[in-house]
Amino acid sequence: MLKAENEEKNEMDENGNSRIYELGYLLVPTVPGEDVPAVFGNLKELVSSLGGVVISDEMPKMMPLAYAMVKITANVCNKFKTAYFGWTKFAMDSDKVSELKKKLDLNPNFIRFLIIKTVKENTIAAKRFVRGEMRRRPRADKNSESGTTVPINKDEIDKEIDALVAT
Amino acid sequence: MKQDYFSANNIKYIDYKDVEILKKFLNPNGKIVSHKRTSVTSKNQRALASAVKRARFLGLLPFVVK
Repeated sequence: MLKAENEEKNEMDENGNSRIYELGYLLVPTVPGEDVPAVFGNLKELVSSLGGVVISDEMPKMMPLAYAMVKITANVCNKFKTAYFGWTKFAMDSDKVSELKKKLDLNPNFIRFLIIKTVKENTIAAKRFVRGEMRRRPRADKNSESGTTVPINKDEIDKEIDALVAT
Repeated sequence: MKQDYFSANNIKYIDYKDVEILKKFLNPNGKIVSHKRTSVTSKNQRALASAVKRARFLGLLPFVVK
């Protein structure tokens, strides 16, 4: 029960109406590399103009798509195999999100976008930390083992030699 | 009995952007591995399925691998 309440608190802001959303999007690869920050800045401005508060984001990066996507602009069918993928996490009034969607629908720079409900916490960093920890542990163990085994071996050899001499 | 991957790694929210984790739960054809084989809890399996579907929509994961 407590967990559920905490999750609700994360989703609902002090105002009561605002929720945490995430916008993931693919930009058309024909946008020149220098203009990408400008598009990214415009998007942030659009979010804040609708009363949204940006929590975290990532610059769009060029990446290959898992499959070819089609977008029809001005009655011309365009196929894309690469795109700039970026995302923005923000808190926004639940009524304003549909307005945001309508505005993004008209933007010719987007191939696709996805608006989802999410949580305020950083969802990626925690996982990376876990993975890093998993990798580090076995290495540390190996070092400590090799460090401690050397003196033990010497002692054991000495004892064995003594025993042999005695016999 | 194998433990749930997400609770073992302390992952509370399954993110569609974390493709490396999602790929562990796809078979060679790119289909989502069944609940029975992943041994993930029902709640996490549902979250996992929606995360994979979101990643597919944005071209981070394939719908089918030929």
